[in-house]
Amino acid sequence: MLEFRTQGFNGYSVKYSPFFDSRIAVAASANFGLRNGMRSSQTTSPRLHPINLFFRFDTQDSLYDLAWSEAHESQVLCASGDGSIKLFDLSLSDFPIASWQEHAREVFSVHWNLLTKTTFLSSSWDGTIKIWDPSSSSSLTTLPTHSCTYSASFSPHNPSVLSAVSSDSHLRVFDLRTPASASNHLTLSIPIHTPPKPRMGVPAPVGIPPAEALTHDWNKYRDSVLAVGGVDRAIRTFDLRSPGAGPVAVLPGHEYAVRRLAWSPHLSDVLLSASYDMTCRVWTDGSAVGVKGGGEEVADPMAFGGGREMGRMGRHTEFVTGVDWCLFGAEGWCASCGWDERVLVWDVRAVMGG
Amino acid sequence: MANQAGTRMAAQERLSQVTDHLKASEADIPTGREALLEKHPDDIVVTCALRTPITKGGKGSFKDTPAADLLHGAFVNLVSRSGIDPALVEDIAVGSVLPPGGGATEFRAAALAAGFPVTTAVKSLNRQCSSGLQACVDVANMIRVGMIEVGIGAGVESMSSQYGPGAVTEFSPLLESVPESANCKVPMGVLSEKMAKSKNIPRTKQDAFAASSFQKAEAAQKAGLFDEEIAPLTVKWTDPKTDEEKTITVSKDDGVRQAMTAESLAKIRPAFAKDGSIHAGNASQISDGAAAVLLMKRSTALRLSQPILGKLVTASVVGVPPLLMGVGPAAAIPPCLKRAGISVADVDIWEINEAFASQCLYCVEELGIPIEKVNPKGGAIAFGHPLGCTGARQVSTLLYELRRRKERVGVTSMCVGTGMGMAAVWVAE
Repeated sequence: MLEFRTQGFNGYSVKYSPFFDSRIAVAASANFGLRNGMRSSQTTSPRLHPINLFFRFDTQDSLYDLAWSEAHESQVLCASGDGSIKLFDLSLSDFPIASWQEHAREVFSVHWNLLTKTTFLSSSWDGTIKIWDPSSSSSLTTLPTHSCTYSASFSPHNPSVLSAVSSDSHLRVFDLRTPASASNHLTLSIPIHTPPKPRMGVPAPVGIPPAEALTHDWNKYRDSVLAVGGVDRAIRTFDLRSPGAGPVAVLPGHEYAVRRLAWSPHLSDVLLSASYDMTCRVWTDGSAVGVKGGGEEVADPMAFGGGREMGRMGRHTEFVTGVDWCLFGAEGWCASCGWDERVLVWDVRAVMGG
Repeated sequence: MANQAGTRMAAQERLSQVTDHLKASEADIPTGREALLEKHPDDIVVTCALRTPITKGGKGSFKDTPAADLLHGAFVNLVSRSGIDPALVEDIAVGSVLPPGGGATEFRAAALAAGFPVTTAVKSLNRQCSSGLQACVDVANMIRVGMIEVGIGAGVESMSSQYGPGAVTEFSPLLESVPESANCKVPMGVLSEKMAKSKNIPRTKQDAFAASSFQKAEAAQKAGLFDEEIAPLTVKWTDPKTDEEKTITVSKDDGVRQAMTAESLAKIRPAFAKDGSIHAGNASQISDGAAAVLLMKRSTALRLSQPILGKLVTASVVGVPPLLMGVGPAAAIPPCLKRAGISVADVDIWEINEAFASQCLYCVEELGIPIEKVNPKGGAIAFGHPLGCTGARQVSTLLYELRRRKERVGVTSMCVGTGMGMAAVWVAE
């Protein structure tokens, strides 16, 4: 396990570069992101031992998320607490090369379109998602969600489809190909707290209260599957082909809210989560052939769909806020960051089966 | 300075957001009273609440003071006590029952005379005896939905000048033809007499309750417990004996009769029926007075450095049969407590308006409220019930007493003519 200290800064998001396996960017904030002060976005080079700070940018307000540009290997996009989105270039100066200020409140997520590579999106506490072109000074489209939207992302399978989860406990899917209308391209709105459909021989599930959804991610192999996590501690997967059917899998286990989810880029059923309970956990959603688990174990009454926890990493000493898989090399390397001012780079295989 | 306050606000909101994320299990989410006592930036808080003295109708110190002047006095004192910039007050709701035209014109004029700029809107409203509470709730709701940031809920009544048969228009044959609607004009004393009989509340109990109201009010007055909520007014007053006009300063409720006992009340003749139980001593007095409550969100109060007296949690209004008007609080309080997520035992002080000892007692017994928690400083029987004022008056009476006793949760409630009840849950800080 490799470690890098973000001295004085509490991590909020960590992302591997899509271009270099040795570059990781961290968005971190002083004072836990609660008060203004100096914030930084850092790029480190983990292949060298120990991790070296490669580049560092300081900003005036907290940073809550970042995204590497898919079009330019040295550009990183940051979501700022002051409502702005800033683009930094590692090969240039200390200052952002572009800044967009339209959101009225904290920006909580930014995500680059993986397919067209010419647009990116942002989501904010102000209840909107905005779609941007880096060459244009104003946003292309604004999609309202009417509630604090912690996480939004483009589909990795279709450049016009994007999804978001918000504090109103809903997963929304937008399709930009639909004509402009009063629905604002909204094509699906799934209540996350819907209990699974009753099964034979099992009492009907009781109603689950809505809870703020904090994170979600698109499966990299199955184009209609998403995983969602939030304040009610359970991770759920949904299949957009049957939006009314409730969750496909429910994975209980985290003791506090789930802050970040990431599907494996290598295996279609494997999922990594980061939580306020200070752990990162690896899960299978039960969809892979031959990985059916939990047969003999005492099943959690919340559990559904045959998924199970495969391992956990408990080396963080504070809330874990970010986790990301390395796209390159041996499957299983990942990076996590948290409020303990540390970025950990570790191998998921080392914590599995223990 | 303003920037710093903004920074502090943002930090507070971000902190409360992260705190919400951690309320992961049901055990972590406080319920009931504990949840009620939490402080949130979007709470609707009271930063100042006061009332004029309440004086006897027709012969008291305000007998020559028009309602709008009483209201003016309450406004001027509210502004000077709270230190609020009048220009920040966006709307004022005034509850009042008797004035012709609802008092809309003279209340707007009173606000302008009190120093509010022309940009401060004013409305008058009338939900009978709960008008003052309705005014506070209306303003709180407007703040809650973001229509305004700062508002005043007020109530006023000059029963000396406006109480009388003219307050109700003649019923049409249509209204007279529907029994339940015709019941709406049965005088309250008459229907309360019937209700006392049907609900079996004997005169002895009513007199004992009324006597304790007088005794509590007398003791509270002597101990100076009303001093914080009362804003003294200087008014012109004509001495009925000499017809001489004097300028007097009124700082005490003048209806509180001294040394009242159940025995002395037992001697009074019934007012509405020969064999009746209701009389002038165990019903609310006819009075004059005004009260005002300054409301805003907690976040606004912090930004403006306003001291916080307490918060308005929720309110309810429920209809009951017109002839059982007096049971209103018994109907309105349960849904209000339910919405607040608390039970009768969680409430420290009950301000239930004493329209009549009979109906107040009935509601207290019906809901199983410990009698010692009801109206600890006395009520309308002892110091009067200026109709539109009462609902706003109870706010200052309640919040200052909760603070003095270091208690937290209170309920204000009253029955409403034509058959309604209204209630609200408040938390003192």
